[in-house]
Amino acid sequence: MGKPKIPVDLILSKLVEEADKARARAHKASDVLLGPLDSKIAATPYEVVCQEDRVKLKHYIPVTDIKLKTPLLVVYALINRETMLDLQPGRSVVETLLAHGIDLYMIDWGYPSRKDKFLTIDDHVNGYMDTMVDFIRQKHNLEKINLMGICMGGTFCVIYSSLNPAKIKNLITTVTPTNFDTDKGLLHLWMKAVDPDRLTDTYGNISGDAMNFGFLLLNPARLMIDKYVGFFEKIDNKQFVENFVRMEKWIFDSPDLPGETFRQFIKDFYQKNLLIQSKLEVGGKRVDLKNITMPLLNFYGKYDHLVPPEACELLTGRVGSKDSTDVCLETGHIGIYVSSKCQREFAPRIAAWLAERDEPDRKPRKKKSATTKKAATIAAVKSKSSRRSQKHAQRSG
Amino acid sequence: MNAKHDKNESRQDIFSAWMKTAGDVWGNMFRVWSDAAATIRPSDASPSGASGHAQTSMDAAMKTWQVLSSTMAQPEILDSMLKGSGTMPEILMKVAQTSLSGFLEFQHKWFERAGRIGKSTEAYTFEDLDENAFKAWTEIYEKEFRQFFNIPQLGLTRFYQEKANQTLDKFNLFQAAISEFLRLLYLPVTKSFSVMQEKLGELSEAGELPEDSKQYYQMWIKILEGHYMTLFQSSEYVQTMGKTLDTMSEFAAAKNDLMEDMLNTLPISTQKDMDDLYKEIYLLKKRIKALEKNLDH
Repeated sequence: MGKPKIPVDLILSKLVEEADKARARAHKASDVLLGPLDSKIAATPYEVVCQEDRVKLKHYIPVTDIKLKTPLLVVYALINRETMLDLQPGRSVVETLLAHGIDLYMIDWGYPSRKDKFLTIDDHVNGYMDTMVDFIRQKHNLEKINLMGICMGGTFCVIYSSLNPAKIKNLITTVTPTNFDTDKGLLHLWMKAVDPDRLTDTYGNISGDAMNFGFLLLNPARLMIDKYVGFFEKIDNKQFVENFVRMEKWIFDSPDLPGETFRQFIKDFYQKNLLIQSKLEVGGKRVDLKNITMPLLNFYGKYDHLVPPEACELLTGRVGSKDSTDVCLETGHIGIYVSSKCQREFAPRIAAWLAERDEPDRKPRKKKSATTKKAATIAAVKSKSSRRSQKHAQRSG
Repeated sequence: MNAKHDKNESRQDIFSAWMKTAGDVWGNMFRVWSDAAATIRPSDASPSGASGHAQTSMDAAMKTWQVLSSTMAQPEILDSMLKGSGTMPEILMKVAQTSLSGFLEFQHKWFERAGRIGKSTEAYTFEDLDENAFKAWTEIYEKEFRQFFNIPQLGLTRFYQEKANQTLDKFNLFQAAISEFLRLLYLPVTKSFSVMQEKLGELSEAGELPEDSKQYYQMWIKILEGHYMTLFQSSEYVQTMGKTLDTMSEFAAAKNDLMEDMLNTLPISTQKDMDDLYKEIYLLKKRIKALEKNLDH
């Protein structure tokens, strides 16, 4: 008798109420799903200005006067696609950067096929990336450009900036893993048990779908169940459905990863953690982080489950730059680019940071030796610009 | 002794009678068939033609059968044969007993290990997962059955047979690994339900049961998420995941190897052919790029 009463009547009446709501929602949902839906992604206009093999260089059409003299090249990861930065109008990093008067370029890595399985990190960084950087430098007749990397693309940017400090004016890394010796993120834990040789030798390239399945397994309760329960709860909301479909389009648009790149990334980064120790070798050259003397802005997400803060925050202390900043945003791996809160914090902050460092040919205050080297490089670039432009035009064709 | 002798004699009689009858029946059948064949055989067909060969073969076969059956029907031969057959049940019994005891042992081991499943399914105790059922199967497979797939193959087709056996072997190992992996993935779901029941019991006791059904769902998804996080960080999960990926790759590689042999017989390029070509293109492009860079400098 002392037992408290279970409110069965209330629970049942709530259930009836919920069932009524669900019926009304289903009725409205059919109108939404059967009607026209705008779920297009990557809608900001651009033109492809350079192409080498499958890799394209996108140049976004400016929407305002160019306010920064130095153009910005954005390098996305080889996993998933760069369309994430331009997911929907009003919530687009691309749109915001353009609105701040930045001349914006972005690498589209395309879809690697089996013939690309031999491509290494060296081919991506010293091959494709270098081609694109040189193209922009020549087009704008500049010694240096700004470089921004996303996730694995950020890791590529760190390598590139170390190997080519004379070509990069400012470096921005976002959710970029550089320290892999941490057990905070599940990926870091799992990758130590993976045999990249066996996988690469068997499959050639690593299937994008297989990688996506792995990412879903990082949190199956949320990513495989709760996410879709949330969708059905708001299925009658057209705008919500459009945005949800946009995200689904992006997240399952997964190119395969070239096998040799995967092999090296797992072995040298996840398993040996060579980059942060300045022991990594790419294309026969050691990647010394002390060579990164340009200003560095390093963003990461406090709740990032893929690339946790521990994987990102060591970089600023290891580079040679005297002007380096860490920015930890209260969000996750993707939220940094797509959440409405970060739309106000992330891209505008990048634009402001770049604007402060946009003086052309400004030299580092305490590194006088770099001046002579820089002057020599400018002369070299100018003398060869016409010949290179012809070559790039041929590649683009 | 007499009774045994009588029994043996009666068996001899029955067998002898059966052999004789069978010989007669087939002899008569043969004559009928020969007569029938003679009526439908074209008049110009020579005995050396196709039908002639068939007839000759049939004649020979029937004669052999008749000789055999009459020989077998002889009392002394029949006697020795029946003696041999008398020992058969003993041999069969021994074989059956050995197999049965092996099977019972296997079954006992299996039940013993299977009985331990679920002993450690208390919430959040993934470190002590009892994988014995799957380990037992893998162990039994590796010790008892796997050797069959590794029997050395002989002759012209030995390499192909070997590859086929290897594919089957790798498939079995992959199946064992993925079953274990899937069981692990399902474990948090089972655990979350048991924890949920406990929680509901506690809430009910305290009179704090939520009225909104959505709250029940949110409670469950949070518990489930927590269990998955605990599982994914456990060494058992990481090892099982690694093993699943390894066995999957090994099976895929063995299957591809077998497939390559089959495709080699067709007038199409195999993946290996294409990979060789891709590698050449890749290396050539790399050389051209390096030469271009040298020209620039």
